Amino acid sequence: MSGDLQAVWLTALLAATTTLLLVPLASLVAWWLARSTSSSRSIIEAVVAMPLVLPPTVLGFYLLIMLNPESAVGSLWVELTGESLTFSFSGLVIASIIYSLPFMVQPLQAAFRAVPESVLEAAATLGASPRDRWLNVVLPVAKRGYLTGCVLTFAHTVGEFGVVLMMGGNIPGETRVLSIAIYEHVETLNYDAAHVLALGLLGFSFLCLWLVYRYAGHRFEVIRG
Amino acid sequence: MSHQLIIKGSLRRARFTLNLDLNVDLTKPLGIIGATGAGKTTLLRVIAGLEPDFSGQVEFCGEIWHDGDHPDQVPTHQRGLGVVFQDGRLLPGRTVERNLAFAQRRARNADAAVSYEALTEALDLNHLLSEPAEVLSGGERQRVALARALLVGPRLLLLDEPLAANDADHRQQLIAYLAEWLPAAGIPLVYVSHAAHELAQLTRQLIVLDRGAVSAQGETHLLLAAQREAINNAAQAVTAVVMSTDSEHNTATLQLDHDAVGAVVSGERVLLQRDPEDSGLGAALQVQPEENQH
Repeated sequence: MSGDLQAVWLTALLAATTTLLLVPLASLVAWWLARSTSSSRSIIEAVVAMPLVLPPTVLGFYLLIMLNPESAVGSLWVELTGESLTFSFSGLVIASIIYSLPFMVQPLQAAFRAVPESVLEAAATLGASPRDRWLNVVLPVAKRGYLTGCVLTFAHTVGEFGVVLMMGGNIPGETRVLSIAIYEHVETLNYDAAHVLALGLLGFSFLCLWLVYRYAGHRFEVIRG
Repeated sequence: MSHQLIIKGSLRRARFTLNLDLNVDLTKPLGIIGATGAGKTTLLRVIAGLEPDFSGQVEFCGEIWHDGDHPDQVPTHQRGLGVVFQDGRLLPGRTVERNLAFAQRRARNADAAVSYEALTEALDLNHLLSEPAEVLSGGERQRVALARALLVGPRLLLLDEPLAANDADHRQQLIAYLAEWLPAAGIPLVYVSHAAHELAQLTRQLIVLDRGAVSAQGETHLLLAAQREAINNAAQAVTAVVMSTDSEHNTATLQLDHDAVGAVVSGERVLLQRDPEDSGLGAALQVQPEENQH
């Protein structure tokens, strides 16, 4: 497989893994944020939204500090799996999950808020168990939120650069994703190869946003980044 | 068969504290009346298991539904209820038909449940079946909610002002249907309303709630008669001076003597609002037009 094709495959794998892992994780966070009246809610909301405003290099830098093999988390990971989180695909997945968290949480939070507590109460009085209420009352209303969250998360992960560079560097087949490959082509003045990849990403990004606006437009307004 | 409902305990709310020591046999349908903010809806929510902070005990037919230590002993969805809230609370993003299907699929006992066709006919819902819940009027929403509550085949029906948003014709039609169907179905009923004529037709025993506590309890017709008498006496005792009139809306604002703070008289009803601090006749007296009082 050529280096660029390998980068395309790795990017798709990273984006798909991040999206799949974020669906359940962000669902829990978004549900709590949509329903909680706790005074700490605004703090958690701010933490979740941080990647929207934080320079990716800053996030990448702190992740590097927190996840390197000398750190508590990083050394535990090495102990458990035998490999380092930094400069590895696993580390990229963790970084992407944190970096893309608001892109999944916010559409879901807006979708969950569209189901008032009073309606869930009514469903309970009709004999619907908590699981039944989730599957048959919340989920049908939230499906557009899930579509928006998945498309945005996938597209955002595909476009990652700063965090990936800080956490993963540029290791072919392991951490060399599309954005890094484009950067490398530009650095080596291989503009033709850079054009092919950049144009592909341009078209892909447009397609993703068109999908979101076409099929779930009114759920998108919550993203402020 | 006895349908004993026992509620003992309290629940603090911003405007009142619900303080109950009730033991009623729902073989006779129970009505609840009281001024706005007296705790009627909160009482229904306690029975439905929607107030986990209620410190006390709720028991129905010998089954403990809620006690202080285990508020969710029998969770709402396992209580076998049929509930109609004031605002209908239909499932969003679904048509009327799919709202009804949601209830039908969760019916406790398909054989005992009311016939779908008969119900949609009686509640005048056939022309609305394909409409999304969001476009319905308040009255239509309430009728769908009522149909939904009956379709689940409840073992206890809790209705909170279920007809209030309907026009007079639909109200009469629904009262007639419920008055005929409920005794035949033998489903215990707790019915909250401000409307004396609804309570008179649908319930046999009545509780008057005042600021979270039961201020009177007894046979519906006796309590309503006593209330009418109190209102008549109050009307005689209160003299009013017309301060202004509004011919367009058929209303007049009156200045009352004693401690009353105001009144609005319209073609529909007379509302006498008394000073809440006054311990005289109660916080509010609501009088239905003469032709509606049976």
